[in-house]
Amino acid sequence: MNRDDRGTDRRRRFATLCETLRPDLLRFAFWLGRDRELAEDVVQEALLRAWKSFDALAEEGKAKSWLLTIVRREFARSFERKRLEVADLDALVAAEATVLAAEDDAGLAEMREALFRLSDEYREPLVLQVMMGYTTQEIADQMGLQQGAVLTRLFRARARLRQELRLDAEPSP
Amino acid sequence: MNCLEFRRRVGAEPSVSGDDIEAHRRECAACARHQDELRAMDALIGRALAVDAERIRKIAPRRPRWLALAASIVIGLSVGLALWISSPRQSLAREVIDHVAHEPAAMTATVLIAPEVLAGVLDPVGTRLRPGIGDVTYARRCIFEWRVVPHLVVQTSQGPVTVLLLRHRNVSGPVRFAEQGYAGVVLPAPRGSIAIVGRDQKDLDGIAQQVFEAVDWGN
Repeated sequence: MNRDDRGTDRRRRFATLCETLRPDLLRFAFWLGRDRELAEDVVQEALLRAWKSFDALAEEGKAKSWLLTIVRREFARSFERKRLEVADLDALVAAEATVLAAEDDAGLAEMREALFRLSDEYREPLVLQVMMGYTTQEIADQMGLQQGAVLTRLFRARARLRQELRLDAEPSP
Repeated sequence: MNCLEFRRRVGAEPSVSGDDIEAHRRECAACARHQDELRAMDALIGRALAVDAERIRKIAPRRPRWLALAASIVIGLSVGLALWISSPRQSLAREVIDHVAHEPAAMTATVLIAPEVLAGVLDPVGTRLRPGIGDVTYARRCIFEWRVVPHLVVQTSQGPVTVLLLRHRNVSGPVRFAEQGYAGVVLPAPRGSIAIVGRDQKDLDGIAQQVFEAVDWGN
């Protein structure tokens, strides 16, 4: 394979990854930052960075995890740059009502709002576990926490959701 | 493993399994039910998190840099991958019976539910009960078919009946069923359907009609 062919192949493989994983990356970034514009920005920047370091990805089977890590880092950078502050939660929910809407399914919309209102420390591990299928050890690695801390956060996240949705609340461990 | 340990484990990982988990599930029906509820809630969380990515993209401003990159690497490629995994679903009747059978204590509750508690269960779905339906002795928001639905027990002249308000479920006509000692009917409603399940009612259709007429489905 000559140099041009390798370049074409590289672009094709990266494009395939982008097309396949971009919706998940956008959702992840959206739930991380609770802001669709920020999500779009973060994913764009993350993909640019990923493209530049694509050769560092040893196994394409690990591309999702690799890209999520980049998105998470990019989000942290954006957070630093923009010094985002947690605004009024009601205003946040109202601003993203279009994305949170679930036509004809009040329960689903309620759950989305409850997730939106969860604090970052509880929302992120829950998103990684439920949406991304991460194990608690993988979440711990991703977030730089002990596995025990992740388990506690996940327990409390669900307890708060049950409380918020007025399902039976469980005491914290 | 005791109940506290079990609930800590499943509260963090509802899908967890293993010999110790299964052993405790066999010993403690309440904990087994708790885990089932958490698993159902996780399914709802999964649906809730799966927001439409196109809605994020359509509304968010586009950046030229991304477009340039996208144009160089995406245009011209057509990669379509759709994997739709669907698992066989039990019939509605079976789902209703299983749900009712899973909460036997609900049918034996006798304490009247306070109006504010009842409102807390019904208001989120824009529904209320008209006077005369009978005493409500159980009111809870449950997860049923991945949705949060009101689950009530109403004391009728022929004994307690379970009522599930299924706004997400349309039926074209009455669905009658009798299983595991329960008899019930699912009726089409202005919004979705309503399931009414009893045990010893001689005239379940009559009772079901009374309950149906007592539900105000809102606008």
